[in-house]
Amino acid sequence: MIDSAAEKPFDADAVTAERIGLIWLRAAVAPVGSFGRRHDESIAPYGPGNEMRARAEIAEIVALAERLESDGVLRLRAALRAVPEPSPIVARARAGDALTDVDFYELGRFVDALDALARAWDAAGGGTERRPPVLDALRGILARGRDGGTFYLADAFAPGLRAARDALGVAEAEFEVRREAIAARVRDAIGVDPVGEEFVILRDVYDGPLPDDVLIARETPTYRAASIRVVLPQRDAALARLAEEEEEARRTLAERIVGEADAIVVTTRALGALDRLLARVAFAQRWGGCIPSFVNERVSFDEATFAPLAEALSARGRRYTPLSLDLRGLAVLTGPNMGGKSAALATAGFVCACAALGIPPPARAASLPLFRQIGWIGGEGPHDRARLLSAYAAEVVRARDTLAAASPRALILIDEFARTTGPREGRALLVAFAEALRARGAFALVATHFDGVAEAAQVPHLRIAGLRGALQAAAGAADVDAALDEINAAMDYRIIAARDDYTASDALALARLLGLDEKIITRASTLYADEA
Amino acid sequence: MRRSSSSTSAPESLYALATAAARSVVVVGTAKNAGKTTAFNALCAVARRRGTPVAVTSIGRDGEPSDALDAEPKPRVRLAAGTLVALPVGLIPRSPALAILDAGAESALGRIVFARAVLPVTCEIAGPPTARAMRATIDRLRALGEGPVLVDGAIDRIAALAGGDDAVIVATGAASGATLARVAAVAADAVLRLTLPGRDRARERARVVRLEGALDARDAEALLADARDATVVVDDPTRIAVRGALFAKLREAVDLRCERPLRVIACTTSPVGRDATLPPRALVEAVARATRLPTFDVVADLAA
Repeated sequence: MIDSAAEKPFDADAVTAERIGLIWLRAAVAPVGSFGRRHDESIAPYGPGNEMRARAEIAEIVALAERLESDGVLRLRAALRAVPEPSPIVARARAGDALTDVDFYELGRFVDALDALARAWDAAGGGTERRPPVLDALRGILARGRDGGTFYLADAFAPGLRAARDALGVAEAEFEVRREAIAARVRDAIGVDPVGEEFVILRDVYDGPLPDDVLIARETPTYRAASIRVVLPQRDAALARLAEEEEEARRTLAERIVGEADAIVVTTRALGALDRLLARVAFAQRWGGCIPSFVNERVSFDEATFAPLAEALSARGRRYTPLSLDLRGLAVLTGPNMGGKSAALATAGFVCACAALGIPPPARAASLPLFRQIGWIGGEGPHDRARLLSAYAAEVVRARDTLAAASPRALILIDEFARTTGPREGRALLVAFAEALRARGAFALVATHFDGVAEAAQVPHLRIAGLRGALQAAAGAADVDAALDEINAAMDYRIIAARDDYTASDALALARLLGLDEKIITRASTLYADEA
Repeated sequence: MRRSSSSTSAPESLYALATAAARSVVVVGTAKNAGKTTAFNALCAVARRRGTPVAVTSIGRDGEPSDALDAEPKPRVRLAAGTLVALPVGLIPRSPALAILDAGAESALGRIVFARAVLPVTCEIAGPPTARAMRATIDRLRALGEGPVLVDGAIDRIAALAGGDDAVIVATGAASGATLARVAAVAADAVLRLTLPGRDRARERARVVRLEGALDARDAEALLADARDATVVVDDPTRIAVRGALFAKLREAVDLRCERPLRVIACTTSPVGRDATLPPRALVEAVARATRLPTFDVVADLAA
């Protein structure tokens, strides 16, 4: 449900969603069951005006993440995944359609799955609040037909069932006796054992008259195909009576289930909410999370984890360094190549997106607004490539569109805008764009290698601390993975205030670490020193 | 050739042979209306007479009152009380009610449901659409009951059984040919394909050709031209898509093997075809001679 009192909820385009890890995040907190998916799809992200609700949801997740055992959460989610979907059965029963015994069996499975879920909740230390519902009344309605996990339309469901079944049993027994008597006559007279519906009498074996109640189905020169006729009207009557009694029992049972329909619907909604909640609890247990303070004047967080990157690094056995940021309005971010400028931008977007989705941002602490929009400018996406836009053209088009929507409720993340054009014109364009964003009051973090942008745009200047001095002269690494390990160990990823408007890119030192020919590094160093 | 003795009828003999060979028995036909469901029903009837609870299912759809294609009447499937059955939700009879035990794979007619007949009931049966789901269905039926599992099969859809311990019965008859010779030849061809021996690495020839997917006429011609005296290995007998003389020639020329063999144990015959009726006794004899397998006519009570 969308809070109608709130402003337009949070939104991010496809390129931004990919860059800030929003797609990854949605997958990471996806519910496991159909109820949860339905519930999740019905809830819009939080936008400006939803701060109280967002905080309440996040606070509940954090509290549950602390209280529930993580293994217990895994078991609860497995139990949720196993809950069958009763809604179509309930809908058909409500519409007056006849239910089948498989429907009753599935409702029985639903009741059992709820019981298993409630047990898993108790075992995980869930407490009474939010405990998954159980449907005792529905269990009671179905109980007479259930034995273990099975279902049978038992005699106890209707007063006439037992008598009708007994009558059919008697009729079937009589039918078999009569059929067997005729079959015995066939065996005695003809020597054929008529086990099936039809049997064949070879003319060279027997070509005489057939016993009573043996019917000829067809004849050929070599054989006659025959069948046994047992006339037993009481068997047909018993079958018809039983069919009526069973249908009546199903009708009665369906009516009683309709009486529980509201409870079933309420239960499935509760399961949907629980599924969504547990997905977020599992996320918080894995990545940690805080209850953010919702403020208007800054985006700040301490030791935040950009979880998609941390996961990718972990898969390669590398360590992720949490980031801290204090962004008030617009700031320029500079720093060395591979120093984590893009990761810092993504982390800012990720933390804000978590809050907008009602998920605890994986950080020690966070203070931020609920944004209406997060936009990423830098590089191009598949959509841009499909439009045959160059990287520069794609950036400019995105900048144009982003500027149109820029406001104090937007977070704009700019990753080396205009790096693919001439550096003088590119820098000028970036400064002018930053000024325009500042004028609109937007939050923006502008990562760039251009010098003097912060000073020119009169905005704060932050930088990545960069390579530690002692390691800058290290020899080239033997292979890329080893080099990356070395860079990772040597890099100080902290975001700090820049003292002047120049930041070294450490490009030459990094090129050496990555194994570029030493002669080239030496020559480049000479050229660079001459220019300086 | 013998007429069944009064103490052991053809259906009884077939049932004894099949259930001694394997826990699950699949009847497949060489053609439509070859008497597959009749043989299947005869096995069920023997089990019923013996008081042995069986489990049944079908690869395909069987037991409907008339054929969906030609509207010809078809044998119904009668389940005795206590019979386990796997069938789609859409084919579960409403009365007498079945006890619903479990649910499995999806099929075109709804989920496959495992159920038990509490009272005798006549119904249609069908099974899951994929080989893997069919295997799982047979295995589930085995787990749910203790008696034999009887499957009304389809000759082109028994890949699921390859490599397993199921027994296969080939149903043939006048539906697959207008003459005794033709029916016998079709049966021999089918049995020859289905009894393709398993791979024996110790006895393989110097050159081994492993074929992925189906072995079709083009493959056969290429092998005859290029790979005579080689061991040719396919996945299972159902991958052999060549028939008749070309298949016989190939089998003679190369050491044809499969990774996962089938166990064909017997044939049944049906003398009644849409366009021809054949003498039952001669048909049983001809098929037995051509296939070298025990052969039964379960309605005329003949065995050879």
